[in-house]
Amino acid sequence: MYHNITGSFRDPSGFLFTKDGILYRQINQKYQENYDRLIESGLYERLSKAGAMISHEEVDLDAAPIPDIKYKIIKPKIVDFISYPYEWCFSQLKEASILTLAIARRALDYDMTLKDASAYNVQFKEGKAVFIDTLSFEIYQEGTPWIAYRQFCQHFLAPLSLMVYQDIKLNQLLRTNIDGIPLDLASKLLPLKTRLNFGILTHIHLHAKSQQRFADKALKGPIADAKVNKQAILGLIESLISTVKKLKVKKFDTEWNNYYQITNYSSESFEAKKDIIHSFLSVANPNSVWDLGANTGEFSRIAGERGIKTIAFDIDHGAVEKNYRHMKGNQEENILPLVMDLTNPSPSLGWHHSERNSLINRGPVDLALALALVHHLAIGNNVPLNSIAAFFSDLCEFLIIEFVPKIDSQVELLLSSREDIFPNYTINGFEVAFKNYFTIVEKKLVANSKRTLYLMKKIGS
Amino acid sequence: MQTKFQLIHVFFKQTAYLDPGTGSLLIQLLLAGLLGIGVAIRIYWKKIKKLFGGKEKGEEYSDPTEIEDEEDEF
Repeated sequence: MYHNITGSFRDPSGFLFTKDGILYRQINQKYQENYDRLIESGLYERLSKAGAMISHEEVDLDAAPIPDIKYKIIKPKIVDFISYPYEWCFSQLKEASILTLAIARRALDYDMTLKDASAYNVQFKEGKAVFIDTLSFEIYQEGTPWIAYRQFCQHFLAPLSLMVYQDIKLNQLLRTNIDGIPLDLASKLLPLKTRLNFGILTHIHLHAKSQQRFADKALKGPIADAKVNKQAILGLIESLISTVKKLKVKKFDTEWNNYYQITNYSSESFEAKKDIIHSFLSVANPNSVWDLGANTGEFSRIAGERGIKTIAFDIDHGAVEKNYRHMKGNQEENILPLVMDLTNPSPSLGWHHSERNSLINRGPVDLALALALVHHLAIGNNVPLNSIAAFFSDLCEFLIIEFVPKIDSQVELLLSSREDIFPNYTINGFEVAFKNYFTIVEKKLVANSKRTLYLMKKIGS
Repeated sequence: MQTKFQLIHVFFKQTAYLDPGTGSLLIQLLLAGLLGIGVAIRIYWKKIKKLFGGKEKGEEYSDPTEIEDEEDEF
């Protein structure tokens, strides 16, 4: 039984599908010449050997999904968790953009060109950005421009510049603009001083003006006769590389990324909490973990260090940035930090609601960690406990969850500025709500604190 | 002789599934022309610097398409 992956329909060169749960890519005859060049020129070998592009093997499938246009079927290596640019922190988007440009530049050495520069062609695998679209390369024809230039500016340069010069949270604009941030919008939002930055001035501001000026006009006159030689394209790509490299977020201290320094955890209870999580992980023995509300990933690392593929979600961009830098610094391969607002998680987006998957559609995960989180959802966001339990039961098979009672200083803080309309927010009310969806496997008090940790298993799993 | 317009036209008709946009193409023509000259200057400048024993600064981001045993500059 074939199942098409709907995010890959735009490119007529081929498409992704799954058969018996295994991911394949059909390469169409239309792309034959380009694919052969990719392989024969050594570009594929170079990029996959460097770890810049996902490797694949050519396979013989009894029957292809659309056999009359088929050239080959390939089986690419799997990316454990597909993430999207609106879930990445600044440094992740920057790493992905440098990868894209480096590949575009390298392809020219092999007389090929990168025909699209979509941020969705990059994923994070084992701690680094990797290019996943094998069909993005075409034979370079002397004189032709870099066709993906506009897309690169929209998908990468515009959000990165906005994050540096306006607000680090502006990558969220990628959620509403699936083909990247329109350059006229980026140009309007960027402060005046960015006109003094040569790269941003030319690739965004003047680029936007040029788009506006020549909208709905065909190329004619002497300009249409001009050719772009390879060195000129190289110059364009190098200019983009240097512009992106100079973009740096210096100050990213936010509400949460100093959480562990300012919170009132005693080191004893902090260690006790870690020990309990270790023992619960031994019992559940998951292959994959989502740490929901991971902050800078202190507890995600407990799972990561056990060799478990762990996604560390947090709402706070600064915390995710810090986590990512920590992870890169220590070359950790099992942690992927991502920005996620659990009260409004990533939805299904794009054509037919199926180009980009919602968070729930990318699950369920073997085990979710929900530490110091429930009070934020229940009291900070007024979500009834029963509804929180139902949400988690859609996400995971096992759940390690911490209950933080009203007498805890963090909850007192949440309630200090508002009326307490949460009579059911008690340990008993919590257990009753969660027992509708989960079985409590173990329950342990965290030493020197008022908090309780639970290991739960989804009913029916 | 094949003109640029024909080239672009033929090229896009054959292969492109992305619409590059007229305005984007024109600014690219302009910038690429200027920046291409920059590349040539940089290549020679590097050679001159090497001649005098100048060293490259350490980079935060190295070229991700580089294979480890090679020494190319990014």
